[in-house]
Amino acid sequence: MLQRGSSSLRKRPHQWITLVALICLTLLATSSAAPRKNTKKKLPPLNLPPLKTQEQKMQLLGYIRQNMPTLRQGSRVSFSSQDLDKALALELGDTASQAAPLIDDETFIRRASLDLTGTLPSAEKIKTFVADQNSNKRSDYIDELLETEAYARKWARYWTSVIFYESEANKRRVNPEALEDWLAEQFRKGAPWDYITVMLISATPERNKKKKNDYGQDYGPNNFVLACENKSTELASETARIFMGISIQCAECHDHPFDNWKRIQFHELAAFFHPYTYKMPSQEDPTVSTVVKPRFLLGEKPYENMKSDARRVSIAAYLAYNPQNYWFARSYVNRIWSELIGDGFYDVDSLGPDGDVVHKPIVNRIAANFRYKDFDPKWVFRLIMNSQVYQREMRTMDSPSELFTAIRPARLRPDVVANSVAHVIGEYPQLRKEIDTVFDMNPSLPQSTLEGSIQQALLLMNQRELQQALSQSELKQKLLGIRSNEELVQSLYLNVLARNPTPDELQRNVSYLQSSEKRDEAVEDLLWVLVNCTEFRTKR
Amino acid sequence: MQSDALLHLNLNRRGQFTRRNFLQAAALGVAGSPLLSQIQLNAAEMKKQGRACILLWLAGAPSQLETWDPKPGSPNGGETKKIQTQTPGIEIAHYWPKIASVMNDIALIRSMTGKEAAHERGTYHLHTGHRMLGIEKFPHFGSVVARELGDPNSDIPNFVSIGQTLSSGFLGVQVAPFIIDRPGQLPDNVTSDASAARQRRRLALLSQQERDFARAGAEVLVQEQSKLYQKASMMMTSPRLKAFEFDGESEDMQTAYGKNQLGQGLLVARRLVEAGVPFVEVRSNGWDMHSSIFRNMERRAADVDQGLSQLLTDLKSRGLLEKTLVLCMGEFGRTPKINARPPAPGRDHWVRNFNLLMAGAGIKGGQAIGKTDENGQEITDNPVQVEDLFQSMCKAMGINADMELHTPIGRPVRLVDGGAVIKGLFG
Repeated sequence: MLQRGSSSLRKRPHQWITLVALICLTLLATSSAAPRKNTKKKLPPLNLPPLKTQEQKMQLLGYIRQNMPTLRQGSRVSFSSQDLDKALALELGDTASQAAPLIDDETFIRRASLDLTGTLPSAEKIKTFVADQNSNKRSDYIDELLETEAYARKWARYWTSVIFYESEANKRRVNPEALEDWLAEQFRKGAPWDYITVMLISATPERNKKKKNDYGQDYGPNNFVLACENKSTELASETARIFMGISIQCAECHDHPFDNWKRIQFHELAAFFHPYTYKMPSQEDPTVSTVVKPRFLLGEKPYENMKSDARRVSIAAYLAYNPQNYWFARSYVNRIWSELIGDGFYDVDSLGPDGDVVHKPIVNRIAANFRYKDFDPKWVFRLIMNSQVYQREMRTMDSPSELFTAIRPARLRPDVVANSVAHVIGEYPQLRKEIDTVFDMNPSLPQSTLEGSIQQALLLMNQRELQQALSQSELKQKLLGIRSNEELVQSLYLNVLARNPTPDELQRNVSYLQSSEKRDEAVEDLLWVLVNCTEFRTKR
Repeated sequence: MQSDALLHLNLNRRGQFTRRNFLQAAALGVAGSPLLSQIQLNAAEMKKQGRACILLWLAGAPSQLETWDPKPGSPNGGETKKIQTQTPGIEIAHYWPKIASVMNDIALIRSMTGKEAAHERGTYHLHTGHRMLGIEKFPHFGSVVARELGDPNSDIPNFVSIGQTLSSGFLGVQVAPFIIDRPGQLPDNVTSDASAARQRRRLALLSQQERDFARAGAEVLVQEQSKLYQKASMMMTSPRLKAFEFDGESEDMQTAYGKNQLGQGLLVARRLVEAGVPFVEVRSNGWDMHSSIFRNMERRAADVDQGLSQLLTDLKSRGLLEKTLVLCMGEFGRTPKINARPPAPGRDHWVRNFNLLMAGAGIKGGQAIGKTDENGQEITDNPVQVEDLFQSMCKAMGINADMELHTPIGRPVRLVDGGAVIKGLFG
């Protein structure tokens, strides 16, 4: 991980210091266009130590990171969930008075568990949580969930899906599972987001000629680059999309229609990822192309004559450590916020002009503090989930002015739906696979534009394995063993929807049981209804 | 006052009736008013025309030189020979003897010219008529057809795709493609072991459960879900479900289409169109022939040749061809110059000129529109843009190509932006 000096660095201090100084200087002097004296003289090639292994790259990046001014300020700055609530109330103005009420413990435990781990809490856990008198129990529960394997796995899946959802790469040349495993390990360890990002961006997969079609896919971090087919243009647009939340893809062919990005900027970024001389094709005549020099989006230029390995390291540095690149921290914050609240400050990967960001001061403040907190992913979850914004009841909102006065009822992702089904009937691999396919959704689309399908309805209504499992499940046997109808219904709701039934629901279900001839069939019907209801596949 | 509300609700700025508003009007309880029944009547009238479209999508982009525009003997011709067709004067590549025998029903467009040379972008352009720019998600043409010509209360989907395809974009779930993977079988999970009475009890209980959740703040999701459950339930009991299977179809007929995934898919497409589904896409994979193109073409073309020629013959003999548009195309063309890729040469991506096949729905068969030079490098006559193609598709389907669609944020966009109906296509 990112550490201050190690033995190999100390052996050749001169070279390292030169390089670090060079990169840092370019980083810090980006906007000040100081005239350079030696522009006419050709720069000598940089005699760098090898940057072949990830460790060598990370050591270098670690040095750059230490010199980030914002990190040095970090320890003195605090921004709490209460600060967030206050700041948002100020920002919302009069609308703040329309905010939805805070949720009860039952709703909280389901919501937090689904959000952090993608699984439902057990009936026992719900009971003890509700009974607990400790005033810090919500906050403690968040901490507890953040330490689970399920947390690491859920978010590794999410990011793998973000990277691979629209990838056109040949399936034999990528290994999404390896990426997921690697990410899960990072999230479990609590690795900082900048570290994870620079590992992904600076990877330089090389072909293993002994194995056909192998580019070292088994090595997790290589798979971001492989998902982009190692194409400069793809790497440019995906880096901007995923790690900056900026949509510059259309600038590949023409100046962005409604944003500042110019076609040349897109190709300068692409050139950064190119191992050799990059040429931009002419728009008029595809046979004509012009050489384009690498430049990062904010104008940062790498040292000329840098080898492509070193250049990848410097893109990672410009991306993560240029203090002016506020997009980097903000895009992570915006994604997590969208997942937790149901709406982002802007659509996660298609930010147009910066002016389209709603409540911009809030997201910028969280992003700045994320940086001060060493890009700790768990800090973002704690901040948001301990706030009132997160702990409000759900509501469907239509206008941007209402945003964040409630949370939006959100569709659960395919793996979470599969987990919920498994929670009720146990694990069935074939069924899980089918749910993953039928409930598949683009993780980068806003909740408000996602759609259900007839196939999803048909699956939960009729899928044979599911129906059989419902009728033979342990849960059903357990329910049938309960003599009192009231208790049966209570246990049913607690086990499937992770909450107690309302008086109406209790009465309705009890009378269904009473009026049915076959108790066995009636219990199965009730299970079927709860598995098929919208709430079962929604975060409330 | 009610009629005022109706006018506002049902007619957009250009005086056109929009379906979303119809649903709102229905929800307001004004569905019985005279103006509305008038509109419903017109909609029904339109549907009586029974127009339909079958799109055979050759995914990966087939080579124009190995299909409808061969250039044997030229430096770019390769191993491909040409054969005479039923129509004097039209010659096509030798991989397609059966298509050659039904050429009198086919119009070839040999002078398509596009703008997108990447698969995803080309697929989008040729399915929606729009280039992939900005964030707007344009609907698949099938979703437009489903919306304009489909029955909103249909018990089976108005748009079926055999194989994965694009989405309905901003037109929403109502007209989204219903995707099946294995032709000739019922779609997954449409049968239930529960008796009809028990199913009704469950659904009744479910709808009460849903009402509570809607009240708790999830109205929009519950509304969508209810619509989908209603459609799913209707589908489960639909007598038209058997169109997905080969019930009542002779063994000979199945053989005639070809006993393979593609042939059986085209047979299902015909059965679905016969059952009133206005749009069916059938997907054939494996046309991205960067290497070994001549050998691969030999293998791939056979199934399509047999299935597609049989589809045209079959539609014609049932009197369906005059109302059914049949399209066979891919996302772009392939480089006239043959590459040197091992193990055997192929052709790369090329968008400057490519071709496609159209038939039915009033299109004049037995003609080839547009020409390329002797090397297949340049279009020498009548270039056709993607927009021209979509204008022509709209004309064939009786859909107004100038109509405005509304994106979720209310931005009006034209169904087809520019272009003109291909000259001579409709005789």
